[in-house]
Amino acid sequence: MAFVSPNITAFAVEATEYPDLARKYQVSGVPKTVVNDTVEILGALPQDAFVEQVLSAAAPREVG
Amino acid sequence: MARSRQLKIETMSLIAPSDQEKLREAFAEMTSNVRLLFFTQTLGCETCPETRQILDELPPLSDKITIEEVNFVLDKDKATQYGIDRVPAIAVVAANGQGTGASDGIKDSRIRFLGTPAGYEFMSLVHAVLLAGGRPLSLTEKNRERVMAVATPLTVQVFTTPT
Repeated sequence: MAFVSPNITAFAVEATEYPDLARKYQVSGVPKTVVNDTVEILGALPQDAFVEQVLSAAAPREVG
Repeated sequence: MARSRQLKIETMSLIAPSDQEKLREAFAEMTSNVRLLFFTQTLGCETCPETRQILDELPPLSDKITIEEVNFVLDKDKATQYGIDRVPAIAVVAANGQGTGASDGIKDSRIRFLGTPAGYEFMSLVHAVLLAGGRPLSLTEKNRERVMAVATPLTVQVFTTPT
């Protein structure tokens, strides 16, 4: 997704190496995805669902 | 007169020979050069040497992959440019020129790795390299369009563990 959109940046974070980040985002299981500190996705999702969730951080109010 | 060159014998590779062969085949499909910007510092970074060791496994498998070491302490501008605030970190960029500017063919994939890319993370790194290297996206056409339409900055952090 980051590769496609100039507005998206993706970080793969090694949780055990950065316990401060893991704590901040309350990572108790992996994979855990956090988008803009507002949307949290637990576990792996099918592509459609994952994209939907990630993009929900961009559009708090759906138009149409 | 030809002088025989001493070949460096690969004795300490972290990757099994059969896996090296698979990676070599996968990387052979790359159409773009890929540069891994490795943000590191000399002191106070326990896992930086290990990360460098892992990264060093890649260039021997493809002449399209290069590593550029960036000193996190001395080259703050570059760290800021790539949104890196800790080390070890890796930014994956497509690089089809010789230089380091956008005009030199640098295309930032905006894919970053924080921490040592060992275990599953190594495979993620390989996928990122292949993507930046020109492999077709795994996104469906519909999802690609939706993602391209994103108008606000999104930072996606995926937390993983090595095993």
